[in-house]
Formats: sequence, C-alpha cells, structure tokens
Amino acid sequence: MNNSQFHRRWLPLLLSLPQLLLIILFFYIPIYMAFFWSFTLERPFGGGSQFVGMQNYLRVLTDTEFWMAAERTLLFMVTASSLAVILPLFLAVAADRKVRLAMPARNILVWPKGIAGASLGVVFLFIFNPFLGILAPLNDLFPGIWQPGIDGKDAFVMLVAAQVWSGIPFNFVILLAGLQSVPASMHHSAAMDGASAWRRIRDIQIPMIMPQLFLVFVLEFTESVTGAFGIIDAMTEGGPGGATTLLVYKIYVDGFKGYDLSGASTQSTILMILVISLAAFQFFYLEKKVRYER
Amino acid sequence: MIEKTKGVDRAANIVLATGMIFILFPLVITLVTATQSYEDFVRNGFSFMPGTHFLDNISIVIETTHLPRQILNSIIMATMMATIKCVIAFLTAYAIVYFRIRYGGIIFAMVLVTNLMPLELRFITTYQVASNVMLPVNAFLEFTGIARIIELISGHHPHYKLSILNTYFGLAAPLLANGTGTFLFRQYFRSLPADLSKAAKMDGAGPIRFLWDILMPLSKSNFAALFLIMFLGGWTQYLWPLVAASTPEMQTAVVGLARLSPGIPGEVPQYPAIMAGAVMVSVIPLLMIAFMQRHIVRGLTLTEK
Repeated sequence: MNNSQFHRRWLPLLLSLPQLLLIILFFYIPIYMAFFWSFTLERPFGGGSQFVGMQNYLRVLTDTEFWMAAERTLLFMVTASSLAVILPLFLAVAADRKVRLAMPARNILVWPKGIAGASLGVVFLFIFNPFLGILAPLNDLFPGIWQPGIDGKDAFVMLVAAQVWSGIPFNFVILLAGLQSVPASMHHSAAMDGASAWRRIRDIQIPMIMPQLFLVFVLEFTESVTGAFGIIDAMTEGGPGGATTLLVYKIYVDGFKGYDLSGASTQSTILMILVISLAAFQFFYLEKKVRYER
Repeated sequence: MIEKTKGVDRAANIVLATGMIFILFPLVITLVTATQSYEDFVRNGFSFMPGTHFLDNISIVIETTHLPRQILNSIIMATMMATIKCVIAFLTAYAIVYFRIRYGGIIFAMVLVTNLMPLELRFITTYQVASNVMLPVNAFLEFTGIARIIELISGHHPHYKLSILNTYFGLAAPLLANGTGTFLFRQYFRSLPADLSKAAKMDGAGPIRFLWDILMPLSKSNFAALFLIMFLGGWTQYLWPLVAASTPEMQTAVVGLARLSPGIPGEVPQYPAIMAGAVMVSVIPLLMIAFMQRHIVRGLTLTEK
C-alpha cells in the first residue's frame, strides 16, 4: 500500500490527537490511578495520601462482604450471560427461516437497545411489585410466594430477567448475521443428502456460527459484570440484605457513599484483573477450540 | 428449496412469537398503565385496560418533576457524544490507514486496549480526573521540577484546577474514551481499493482534500450507523451520568426516571405518572430504532457494543 499512502510527519499525529487525549485522560490515567491508589490510603476531599503496601488488599480480601459480592457477581455472570446468549440463539435460528413472523421479529427484537437498564428496572419494579403487579393475584393465593423486597432469591431472579431482556438485541443481531452468512449451497447439499431441517440446524448452522457465539459470550461476560449497575440501582439498590450487591455496585457504594476511595480502587483493580484474565482465557484457550473454517 | 419444513417453521413461529411477547410485554404494560388515572389504579390495581388519562399523567410529570429538562439534557449529551465520536474515530482511523507512519501500530493498539475495560470498572478514579482535568498537568509540573521554578519566580506554588463535572462535556467525554468506531472506520478504509488514494495523489490532491472530497462522502452510511449506535448508547448510559451530574438540572433522563420517588411511604405509589415518565424517556430512542432499523442493525454488527 506504499504508493497509496501519504507522507507527512506531523499531520497524522495531529489527526489522532483528539482521540489520544481522550483515552489518555479518561482511560489510561484513571487506570493507573486506580492501581496506584490500591497501594495507598487515600483520604477523601483531597486530604493527601499515604503508602500502605498491601494493606488495602489484605483488608478487602479478608472482608466477607467482598467475597459474598464476588460470589454473587460470578453467579450472575454465569446465569445471566448464558441465558442472554441461548435465548437470542433460539430466536436467531427461528428468524433465519422464511416464516411469517421473521420480519416483525427482526424489528421488534432490537427495540430493547433503546431502553436503558435503569428504565427497564423502574418498569420491572412495578410489574413485579408483590402487591400491585402482575403476580399480586398469586400472592393472594399463596401469601409470601413472591416477595422481591424481602426474599433475596426473588430479587436476584428479577435482576437476571432484566439483564437478559436488555441483552437480546445485540446478541440476536450478531447471531442472525452469522446464520445469514452460511452459504445456501451448504443447506442445499445437506438437504439432498437427506438431512432434515432440524438436523441441519444442529449439524450445519450452529457449528458454522461458532465464531459469533464465541464473540457474544465474551462480550456478554463483561457486560454482565458491568452493565447490571443501572438495573440494580433502579430496582433493588443492592438489597434486600445485600442479596443483589454485585461487585460493581459495592464499589459504587464504598466509593461514593462510604468515601472509602482506597477500598473502592482496590476492588476496582481486582475486578479489572478478573475481567482481563477472563478475556485472556477466552481468547487464548477457548478460541483455539473454535473453528473458523468457512 | 422445495422440501417441506412445516414442523420446523411452526416451531420457529412459536419461538419468535414468544420472544416478541417477552420484549413487548413490559413496553405494553408501561404504555397501558400510563393511560390510567391514579384513582382507577388504586381501585383496580394492575389492569390491562387502557384508560383515558395519558395526557393528564404526562402533565403531572411535566409539572412536578425535572424530566422535561432532563430529556433535553439527554438529547444534548447523546448528540454530543455521537458527533464527537464520529469525528475523532474517523480522523484516527484515517491517520492509521492512509499515512506511512511508524507509530501507527502503537496508536491502534492503544485505542484497541480501551475496549477491554468499560467505564464501570474505572469510574472511581475517572471521577477524580473529571473533578480536576488539570491533574496530569500538575503532576507533570511537579515531576519535572518546573513547579519549583514557577514558585521561585512568581512566589506561589502552581496548582491548576478545572472541573468538568456537572457540564455536558463532562457527561460525554469519559464515555468517549474507548475504541468503538475507530475499528469500524479502519476496517472500512482497508476494504476500499488502494487505487483510490493513489489516483487522488496522482491528481494532485493532498491528504486533507482526499479526506474531505472522497473519503467522507464514501463513509456516509458508516457515519449514520455509528452516530445512531453512539446516540442510543449515550441515551441509555446510567452510572457515569449518575455520578458526573450532581444537580437534578444536569442529570440525564434515565437517571431522573430512576430517581422518581414512588411517593409517600404507606400509600399506593403514583405508578401511572411514573410509567408516563418512562414513556417520555423511552419514546425518542424507540422511534429511532423502529424507523432506522437498517442503520442500527448495521451499526450493531460493525461496532462491538
């Protein structure tokens, strides 16, 4: 591409400067600071700082509340992201067929992209209100069967449902695009060999979209760690009794309500390491098992 | 194909119908409840029967909450985010692809890494930076000793302070510190024939002329896709606008909606009005999605979330 490129010394740097300034100021410096703060005792309102070595980590890692939040984060990650991939997979396989509902579904299933998690949380809070919502009659019959305000499990289920709802558009669109790029000739030849439509879904379509499935899984994992914040804050504020306090919410509460900047930074750093190692694991280990043959 | 696939197709229709019901259910409930009067709601509780009080509920929201102002804030912030993103992503990708520079790979790697860690993982310290964006300047002056020199000359220790919290720029900027868009344009530029810039060079066009007259018109549909995705992304942001705006007048619509209190404890919450608020907050992005479907889907497949 040599002849097709321009030769200027400073212009390209100037062109990329706005973007570089933004990511240095609001990405690299904050990450460096979080790392740095996790080794210092930081006083709120700019009261100075003091190097304390591994003390923050010791404090956080011996705190049972931290481990409970970590466990809930993991549980949420596994349940919410598997559902948020599997349901769109079914929908994408169905929408890939030339059936009557395929066209309206392709439009409507993207709508949640415009609804914020927190807005959905406000609506879900009403719909699942134990006395006013849709399950109120059930509560009249069996008192106490549904009480997300008291029972942590019910609240958690509500959270997972909201997260899955929000995750449908992106995963559906990516998986559908993958299915549509499966060459028609493969369908035809398999059909001629006597493979039924069901069989073709299992043995051709799903294996062919493994790269897309892999991609949405990786992204959905990160999204379930970070994206649930709005839903939690609007619906449960971490309650009842901390049952829905995921790490991202705990960091917010510790940092912005408890003014424990060092503790919040330490937990942020741990969460960053978790997210990065998960991504690394998925890319270096799992990706090898995904075949990209076309 | 000529074979019959009735069984599969029926199953497909059932799956799609279930999916659409799952998506539409909360939206319909919101809309229906927003039309009921508070008195009816208290009397009948949850009901699928639409009422006639939609406009009354809307006017309650307009008169008693900050939501109209906050919707304006959301429009400004989301438009700002989408516009700035389109410009900076386009320029960076252009610099990487169309110039022969040794540091091109470094820039691209620096931008790409940012996608690993969303703002939710670094918001504590990002908040500190936003509360004083001169922080790196101060650190630089201290580190190099220039601060001492200035102190000796002018007599006071230099410490600059500039907060972008509670401003539109502060709401938008940290959310722009990621690689979304740069990758999109880079892929697109690389898919264009190399002869394009070669021909432009032969005709004597400089890099700016090439960018303005050839590349920009060619990238129209990419701009549209990226703009819409960024607008929707900005509109639905929650954590950052929540911490970066300290007064109700500067908060965004989604934050304002989540803050609408369900009323006096012990009484039935004013749910019809709250649902009317939810309708107001969601109607702009929903209309965009319903009517600009093609660009949105394109944008979703081109950007990574």
